[in-house]
Amino acid sequence: MTLELLGDFALQLSPGAVANGVNYVWILVVCFLIFFMQPGFALLESGQVRAKNVGNVLMKNMTDWTLGTLVFFVLGAAVSGLVAQLTAPGTAFDLMGAFGYMSSTGGAGWVDWFFGAVFAMTAATIVSGAVAGRMKFSAYVFVAVAMTAVIYPAVTGMTWGGGLLSGSGFIGDALNVGYLDFAGATVVHMVGGLAGLVGAKMVGPRAGRFDSSGESQPIPGHSMLLAVLGTLFLAFGWYGFNVGTQATVLAAGDGAVTFQGAALGRVVLNTTLGMGAGAVAAMLVSAGWQGKPDPLWAANGLLAGLVAVTGAVPHVTWWGGLILGGLAGALVLPTYRWVVDSLKIDDVCGVFAVHGSAGAIGTILIPVFAYQSGGVAILGDTWGFGGGTQLAMQVIGVAVIGIWTVVATAIAFKLADVIFGLRVSETEEDVGLDEAEHGVSVYPEFVAGGSREGPTVSTDGSGVSGGTQDD
Amino acid sequence: MTDEPNDGDLKMVMAVVRPDKLGDVKQALAETGAPSLTVTNVSGRGSQPAKKGQWRGEEYTVDLHQKVKVECVVADIPAQDVVDAIADAAQTGEPGDGKIFVLPVEGAHQVRTGKAGQDAV
Repeated sequence: MTLELLGDFALQLSPGAVANGVNYVWILVVCFLIFFMQPGFALLESGQVRAKNVGNVLMKNMTDWTLGTLVFFVLGAAVSGLVAQLTAPGTAFDLMGAFGYMSSTGGAGWVDWFFGAVFAMTAATIVSGAVAGRMKFSAYVFVAVAMTAVIYPAVTGMTWGGGLLSGSGFIGDALNVGYLDFAGATVVHMVGGLAGLVGAKMVGPRAGRFDSSGESQPIPGHSMLLAVLGTLFLAFGWYGFNVGTQATVLAAGDGAVTFQGAALGRVVLNTTLGMGAGAVAAMLVSAGWQGKPDPLWAANGLLAGLVAVTGAVPHVTWWGGLILGGLAGALVLPTYRWVVDSLKIDDVCGVFAVHGSAGAIGTILIPVFAYQSGGVAILGDTWGFGGGTQLAMQVIGVAVIGIWTVVATAIAFKLADVIFGLRVSETEEDVGLDEAEHGVSVYPEFVAGGSREGPTVSTDGSGVSGGTQDD
Repeated sequence: MTDEPNDGDLKMVMAVVRPDKLGDVKQALAETGAPSLTVTNVSGRGSQPAKKGQWRGEEYTVDLHQKVKVECVVADIPAQDVVDAIADAAQTGEPGDGKIFVLPVEGAHQVRTGKAGQDAV
C-alpha cells in the first residue's frame, strides 16, 4: 500500500518543478551565507581601527546592510534594470518593467531580488573600511545610499543585467563576446575597493598617519584577533558568494533531473585553492618583506586570493585558480605600500589592495587560464586560451567599470562634502568617533556611581553635590 | 655643592598628561637629555569637567578621565628643566592638561650593572 502510494507520488513529480524548487532553496541558503559576510566585515574593520572608533565602524556596517537593502528595493534594483535597457541595442526603454520586481507576488522574483541585494550590500560595506576613523557619519550615510541606489546597480546593469558589457550590450555585441565576471570580482569587489580608495583620498588621511615630511606613520588597529576572525567569517560567507552563484544545482530534462556536480565542483575547488594560495603567498611575501610572517597580511592575502578567483571560478582550470589566488595574495602587501607610500592615501583596511586591484587582475587574466573541454590536458585539467577578443573584452570591462566607479564615487563624495562636510573636526577625531558621532564608548572603563547610590563629588574637587535621591 | 643639579640628589618628575600628548612629551624629554621614562595608563580626576556617557539612552557620568602617567627620575639634569619640558609639550590650554609633581628619591639601583645612586640613573 505504502509502496503503491510512493509510486503514484513519483509519477506525479515534474522534474522541472523539482529542479526549480531545489535550485531556489539553494539560492536562499547561499544568500544567508553571503549575508554572513556582514559580521565578517564588521569584525575585520573593527579590529583594524583604534578602540575609540569601533562603534562608528559597527554603525556604518549596520547602516550599509539595513538602509542599503531598503534603498536597493525602492530604487537600486530598478536602476540596474534601466541601465541594462539603455546600454543594449534593440531593448525598448521600459520604466515600469524595470520596477517590475516590486510586484513579483506570483513567482520567485523576490528571491531573485534578495539574491541581488546580498551582493549589493557586500559592495557597499567595503567602502567603510577605507574611510574609517575620520569621516562624518552623515556624509557616510549619503555615500552609502548613492552606492546602493546608483553606483553599484549601474555596474550590474552593464554586466549581469544584460547591458553594455554583456554579450547583448553595445560593446559585447560589437565584439561578439560577453564580459566574464562570474560572481563579482570586479562588479562587487573592485567597485567597493575603488570606491574606498577614492573616498579615502577625498576624505584625507587620519591625523598623524603621515608626519610633517609626508612619511607614513603606522596607526595600529586595536585587535588583530577581531580582524583575523572577521577574515575567516568572510571566507565562510564567500562559499555562498562563489559557489552560490553556480545557482543551478539540478538541471531538468527528459523526465529526469541531473546534479550539476562538475560545475559546482570546479567553483568550490577554485574558490578554496584561490583562498589558500592567496594566504600562503601573502605570508611568504610578508616574511620576505618584514622578516617574519605577519598574520594580518596572511589574512589580507586570503581575502585577496578569494577576490581574484571570484570572477574566474567556473571559467578557469584548477591550477589557473591557484595561480590567480597566489598572484593576488603576493601583490597585496606591495600594492598596499604603493597606495600609502606613493599615493599618500590612508586606506585604513587596505580595501584597494584586497578588493580593488586583486579583482581587476583576477578577472582580466581569466582567458589566459581558461578551462576548455577538449583542450590541452595539463595536470589533469583541460586548458585552452580564451582568445584575444575575450582578453580585450576583459580589459575593456575592467576599464569601463573602473572609470565609472571612480567618477561616480568622486561625485558622491563631492556632494556629501557640500551638503554635510566629509570630515569630523580635529577635536572630534582626537576623542574618537564613538564619542563624537554616537555618544558611546565601546569599551567603557570607569563608570561613576554604578549601582551604588550616593552623593556625587563635583568634578573640580570643590565639594559634594546631589544626594541619595539621584536616580 | 649647590651648583650641582638637583643639589646632588635624585628627583622623580611624575607627570599626568593627555594620552595624545605622550609622543610630544617623549620628544621633549629626549631633547632635554632625560630620555628614560616609565609610562602607565591611568584614570583620574582633576579640573576637567565630567563627561556624559550613555548606554541605551540612559546617561552616566564619567568623571575619571583616561590619562597617561609619565615618571622620570633624574640626577644630572635639573628636575625643573624636565618639568618645563613636559609642561611645554603637554599643554593645550584646556582643562584636563594634567599635573606635574617633583618628588625626592632616596636611592637608585641599576639591575644590570649593580650601580647605585646617581650612577644608576
